[in-house]
Amino acid sequence: MEGLLYEILMALALGLFGAVLFSAIGLVSGTDETTTLAPLTMLVVLLGAPPAGILTFFLAGAVAKHMTHAVPTALLGIPGDTSATALIGDANHLRRLGVPHVALRKMISGGAVAAVIAVPLAVLFAVLLAPFGDVIKQFAPWVFLCAAFTIAYFSAGRWASVLALLPFVLVIVALQTLTAQYGVKLAVSYFLGIAVAPLITSLFSMLAPAERERMRRDQYRVFSLAPDMKGWRGYFPNPLRVINKRQTRMTAMAASVTSATFVFSPVAMTVIMGELIGARIKQAYERLTTVITARNGVTESTYIAEALIPLIAFGLPLSPVAAGPAAPLFNAPPRFSVDTATGEVNNLHNLLSNWEFFGYGMMAVLVAIVIAYPFTMNFAHQAASFVSRSISHEAVIATFIGLVLVVGIWEGGLLGLLVIVTIGLLGGLLGRFLGFNIGVQFMGYYTAVLSVPALIALLN
Amino acid sequence: MSQELARPAATPPSADAARNTDNLYEVWGDTVDARHLVLAIIVSAIVSLGAYGLALWILDGLVESAQMAKAYAMLFGILGCLGGGAISAMLFKPKRDVVEHVADPAFREQVVADLLKEYGSLGRLEESSPEVLAELHELGLYELFRDAQARQPGAEAGVDSRDSLALSGGRS
Repeated sequence: MEGLLYEILMALALGLFGAVLFSAIGLVSGTDETTTLAPLTMLVVLLGAPPAGILTFFLAGAVAKHMTHAVPTALLGIPGDTSATALIGDANHLRRLGVPHVALRKMISGGAVAAVIAVPLAVLFAVLLAPFGDVIKQFAPWVFLCAAFTIAYFSAGRWASVLALLPFVLVIVALQTLTAQYGVKLAVSYFLGIAVAPLITSLFSMLAPAERERMRRDQYRVFSLAPDMKGWRGYFPNPLRVINKRQTRMTAMAASVTSATFVFSPVAMTVIMGELIGARIKQAYERLTTVITARNGVTESTYIAEALIPLIAFGLPLSPVAAGPAAPLFNAPPRFSVDTATGEVNNLHNLLSNWEFFGYGMMAVLVAIVIAYPFTMNFAHQAASFVSRSISHEAVIATFIGLVLVVGIWEGGLLGLLVIVTIGLLGGLLGRFLGFNIGVQFMGYYTAVLSVPALIALLN
Repeated sequence: MSQELARPAATPPSADAARNTDNLYEVWGDTVDARHLVLAIIVSAIVSLGAYGLALWILDGLVESAQMAKAYAMLFGILGCLGGGAISAMLFKPKRDVVEHVADPAFREQVVADLLKEYGSLGRLEESSPEVLAELHELGLYELFRDAQARQPGAEAGVDSRDSLALSGGRS
């Protein structure tokens, strides 16, 4: 009994820590989910946190970040992170109508509603899929190969992305062979390289004279910060009164649907659900506010479902979120691993029961809501003002470069660092010119690790 | 309760003499000064790797498992990244002009025109629930949509909506 109490308290403490940390990170625009969630979750895993605590840290962090990312998105008109890019159009309309606080309130209320719905549904879908788990595990290398080609085809690059998978996978296999010669086995470095690829490419571009001229600016960038408007009383406004019944219904529906479609990219689902809902509502203001509510709800539900379903049902990272930001829940050598040859897994999948996933999942979501929701409701303006006036972009970039250096050196010394830079530059250029996006790149990594050995075995 | 929406917009502060705009570049979605960026990266590299190396050196003797010593050292390394970032934030100020203003009515008319273009129709207020109408009244937007709706059948919306797209930033 004492063990259980300890486990619950640790889960609560790590959930709180994740929620507070990622509420702060969400305020800084440009802090992509993968770049921040993946390394910090990895750290929590490697420092030996109990399984339940790892889950609550990750989920509370993701849910909190997708609430506070509404602050730069609604008040400054810059996307808080990658999934917020799908909301920027709606948010800008509301900002220019002079009601950014409405955008903010609707977004975080939609997020809260969707997050609460997504956990039980994700667990339910996972339980339904679990019987197929053994078959999928057996054919894991081929499932990943098919998933990689499917995700590539549905990226912006279409066939270019599908074909670009070949050289990309080849480079990863080549790099692994090279580092193996020196006894170095890398995993996190590939993830981090893919996640910071656009930054690394930008920094390289700055050194090339022609590109540098293109990037030159002759004045400071102007941001218009929306004024502070508080239209509610108290500290914790009821989310169900901030959004009306129809908006609650639409958000719940969108959250339910996207809790099942776990193989598609969260950004794509956010855009698609917004279009589907928007088409059903005629009046423009109602449409705008309902779509933004539901869309932010989808950023929450996709993250929760895409992490939980593959984790509970298969233990294999078979979704864009599981392959990227949630990767350390599946694969964090030496503690967690996915065996390449047999499809055997040793990670949270084996360490937590379905009921524990449900219980700790709900705990994480509620902790995140209790921390991030009132904070965003009450201090959004001050937070946006502080971040935009005091945290320079130089400092943000420098922090990420520091992260690259530490993680690279930690995992593989100089070789680790070189792999991050190589993958970052290649991935960034392919992403920029071909639309070979980050989700495809993560699948490329898994293809290299899981499918290529199986292919070679088959050919021999 | 109707909220004040038409306060005059503050003009962006004009470039003061101390401001050097020779080295401004747009990197990863925002403006930086190239010299400051190089210095910030150097500071962050020294602080983060310094914290990692120092922690590794100290912990190696204290912690039994070398693997755990390395994991804890990474924790200090990541704290070092944040420390380096904080020092950079103190040393180098943002290259942003933050302007606080409320959208003026002309702007709002344009948003309605943009919405008409994007959605094809503004719909009818009569179709919305009382809750939505109460919200519009409270925000002082009811008249805006009512008038636009009245003009709708023959309304001309030749306004370019490109600038609202451009606001999404140049992040790749």
